[in-house]
Amino acid sequence: MIVAVRRSLRRALLVAGRDLTVERRQPDGLVAALTFTVTLIFVESLAVGPVEARRPVIAAALFWIALLFAAILGATRSLERELEDDALDGILLLAGGRDALFAGKTLALAATLGIVALAGGSLALVLFDLTVALPFHLVLGVALGVIALPPVVVLDTLLALRLRARALLVPILALPVLVPQLVAATQGTAAALSGDAAASLGWSGMLLAFAIAYTGIGLTIVPAAIE
Amino acid sequence: MEPSAALRGVTVVLDDRAILRGIDLDLGPGLTILRGANGSGKTTLLRAVAGLTPLSRGTRATSEPPLLVSHRTALLRALTARENLAFFTTYRGIAAAHVDQALARWGLAADADRPLERLSAGQRRRAALARLDAEDARIALLDEPFSELDAEGTQLVAEALARWTAERRIVLVATHGHSELDRAAARVLAVVDASVRQQ
Repeated sequence: MIVAVRRSLRRALLVAGRDLTVERRQPDGLVAALTFTVTLIFVESLAVGPVEARRPVIAAALFWIALLFAAILGATRSLERELEDDALDGILLLAGGRDALFAGKTLALAATLGIVALAGGSLALVLFDLTVALPFHLVLGVALGVIALPPVVVLDTLLALRLRARALLVPILALPVLVPQLVAATQGTAAALSGDAAASLGWSGMLLAFAIAYTGIGLTIVPAAIE
Repeated sequence: MEPSAALRGVTVVLDDRAILRGIDLDLGPGLTILRGANGSGKTTLLRAVAGLTPLSRGTRATSEPPLLVSHRTALLRALTARENLAFFTTYRGIAAAHVDQALARWGLAADADRPLERLSAGQRRRAALARLDAEDARIALLDEPFSELDAEGTQLVAEALARWTAERRIVLVATHGHSELDRAAARVLAVVDASVRQQ
């Protein structure tokens, strides 16, 4: 059992490493996600106005909505690369390849999203002139939010992989499922900004539970669902 | 143990059309040539054996995961040939030295560290074929392996087919031309009217 888990983890890390190497060499996915996030935060702040944007719950919501779309953008781009030259087939033919594909893509997206969150979060703090009451709780909540989004996004992207309208379908499939994560991440971040430690930790725990649950669902569904 | 691959009563329907119907196929060690007109279902048959095509009916069984080299390379363009092959060998737990040997054998030693997108189509095809040596794949499914290759590359494929056959691998090659392969083949099959026939 331990050997099997270790082998699966090693394979997932291999796929993640391969993905991140490609992203480092051709950072179009990361650049698109970064540009999109920064632009969206800026535009949203203009739309709600500077006073409203400084409210912790509004600032957190603007940040997480931007990050959610960045996650979809990043996952879609990553899978598009796999379809060029049928690179995906190479992984699907490996023993345990489907599991490794899901887990590896999830890890790689979480890493990419971490960079986007750092940049977007820094921008939001400066742009909205926010005061952080609980920095550790904020970092914890954002980190857990960053690992809670990718399992759902990667799962939906993989399920829509062979469909022609996948660019349209992925957001439609993913967004309703991601509402609980969005609420938890927003409320947890807002609580950390405003100094409510108990609430922040509670929401963070919920994000961790979502990450574990959807990773389990993905590892169960993907091997049977991808052709 | 010798490798094996089989299809039992396999029907594949794509876009409401039966591409393959009730196929029974047993593949053992040696070279099997698969012929057929354009659109007859050769590629679909290879993908069915590989497990990359959903079967409407029937079953497939292989002694180990096959390796399919199709019209496309199944490699990532942003990575080098070495990185692409190293990913697969590391995944399978095969020594990294196999990658260098395979790339040298396929004439890619000098270009092993260039991203695939900078290589010619023929070189990319060689990199894809080098996987079969690097990973010591016991079940090799090749779809038009000679396409895009120059004379030297064509010779390398012919030599590789002879080598893999001598090593008791399963080698299934779908091709239009190269009738000289028929002499070395254990079997020559053709896909006609969604069925597989012995020639």
